[in-house]
Amino acid sequence: MTGRDLDPALRELRDTCRQIAQDLRSRALAVDADPDDVSRHLDAPSLTLLRTASTPKRFRQEDLPLRFAEYTDSCLARALANVELARGDAGILSANTGPSLAGLAVDALGDEAQRELFYRALADGRTWTFFAMTEPDRGSDATALTSRFEPDPGGGHRLTGTKRYVANAARGSIGVVFARTGPTALSIRAALVQCPVPGFSGHALDMIGLRGARFGEMRFDGVRVPEEMLLGRHLPTSQRGIWGAGRAFNVMRVQIAAQALGLAFAISDYVLEHRPRSPGAELISARLAAARELLYDVAVAVDRAPGDPRPPSIVKLHTTALAVELTRWAERALGAGSLLEHPLLEKWCRDVCAFEFMDGTGNILRLHIAPDTAPVREER
Amino acid sequence: MRESISECERIAHAQGLAAGLGVALAGVDADAAPGLIAALPTTRVAPGASVIPHRMAQLEGISFVRPLAKAACSGEERTALAGRLGGVRLGLVRSLIERAVGHLSGRVVGGEPTIRKQLVLGTVADLVTETEAIRRLLTVAGTVSTAVADAHERLTVLGWEAAKLFGASGYLVDGPVRGVYVSRLVANCWVVTEAGGS
Repeated sequence: MTGRDLDPALRELRDTCRQIAQDLRSRALAVDADPDDVSRHLDAPSLTLLRTASTPKRFRQEDLPLRFAEYTDSCLARALANVELARGDAGILSANTGPSLAGLAVDALGDEAQRELFYRALADGRTWTFFAMTEPDRGSDATALTSRFEPDPGGGHRLTGTKRYVANAARGSIGVVFARTGPTALSIRAALVQCPVPGFSGHALDMIGLRGARFGEMRFDGVRVPEEMLLGRHLPTSQRGIWGAGRAFNVMRVQIAAQALGLAFAISDYVLEHRPRSPGAELISARLAAARELLYDVAVAVDRAPGDPRPPSIVKLHTTALAVELTRWAERALGAGSLLEHPLLEKWCRDVCAFEFMDGTGNILRLHIAPDTAPVREER
Repeated sequence: MRESISECERIAHAQGLAAGLGVALAGVDADAAPGLIAALPTTRVAPGASVIPHRMAQLEGISFVRPLAKAACSGEERTALAGRLGGVRLGLVRSLIERAVGHLSGRVVGGEPTIRKQLVLGTVADLVTETEAIRRLLTVAGTVSTAVADAHERLTVLGWEAAKLFGASGYLVDGPVRGVYVSRLVANCWVVTEAGGS
């Protein structure tokens, strides 16, 4: 099968990620079994490297190998790296400390002082971050959120509302919370919040898979948000809030799509290792290669036009469905009792479902994808 | 055959996976499992049995055990059991769809209940249609191993499609999706697939 020619730097990044993936794989089941005991993994060279690589260059505490230099430079590099890393295990990626999705939002909306505050808070390598958007009864419809920033007579704002299915909800020390200052979509803003703080409570929820992420609930009851913690103050009104974070959302979506695809590759690798001549393997390999090509094309498109939500939605919808489908192929190929005999495979069957609701469920993505007019395809 | 599948569906719908599996397994012991692992209602696990821990299964009253020996079990018996297990899974997924409709009726998006959104209605219609089609497949071809295996694979798809209607709340361990997920693992222990064999 033919695929895209990667430049030497990206090939090096890919190869290094493949090596790291082996270490991630070795930790996968332990994190799934006891996600509260993840601290003992944090000093592993693999997780330290990934934490450093996902931090903007000027805030890095340690030097990175040259081949990692590109990691934060482009959506394509992130996509490529995340496929290979999740091919080791996606669960432990979500268990790591570091900027994660909140970092992308801070990069997009934060001013210099806010970026400084955020990244300095992560310098100890022991700090988890949160990205609090989803609400209990609102699902993935970000424009319908009801949490609110209300003016505080003492200055700044007071944050009130509940967020759910937020990674690191209870253990995160700093992150981004979205709420509204008024009724319109433009009034949805984001703020940096440091926890613990008076008026905040958080607890982890018992989730079926991707347990290392410690998804949970966050409650804000009049939490004080100083004016200088409101993100986007330095930006034009139309770019201060949810729309200004559009590029960050699109990069996140591609990253999640990449992890879903990486997990699909992991399943395929695993099945072929245990049953090399599994029926359908050739077709599965072709579909995985095609999905990777789609992912790379989309990542390049996001690098060129970061504001368009359609390509990232297409790739996330596809790779999530493909990964779920591969769990069924694996079950079929390995036969009776296979899911219990192969705990990694069973874990992946649970983990893969998380990608459906992370950063937009399938139906939300479909609403982004379905065009108002007939689709137009460029002739090549 | 038809009656036993219906009975399994009815029990699982009303009482859950462990009760349904208990009926489906009537007269079948762990050592008849086609692979190395059998799934049983926890109440039927013999003292001292080698049990594979599984948190969600435990909460459903299901245990996975490694039988000490292999008992002879004909292909017809295995297919019949797989058919009854198909009935169990149908009952569970039907219950899940009903709960999903209730869940979506109580949520509002854009000023109207989520259940009235065309995308959602279409999904529910597909789920109901597939449920009816799988039930008929089990009814008319419950003795055909490939048909029963096909029904189980489609039940796995059906369960996932229904689970998605709950959004992230469908991903909670203490939620309605758990039984459907564990039923997939149970079927994986008892149903022989053409590709994988036993």
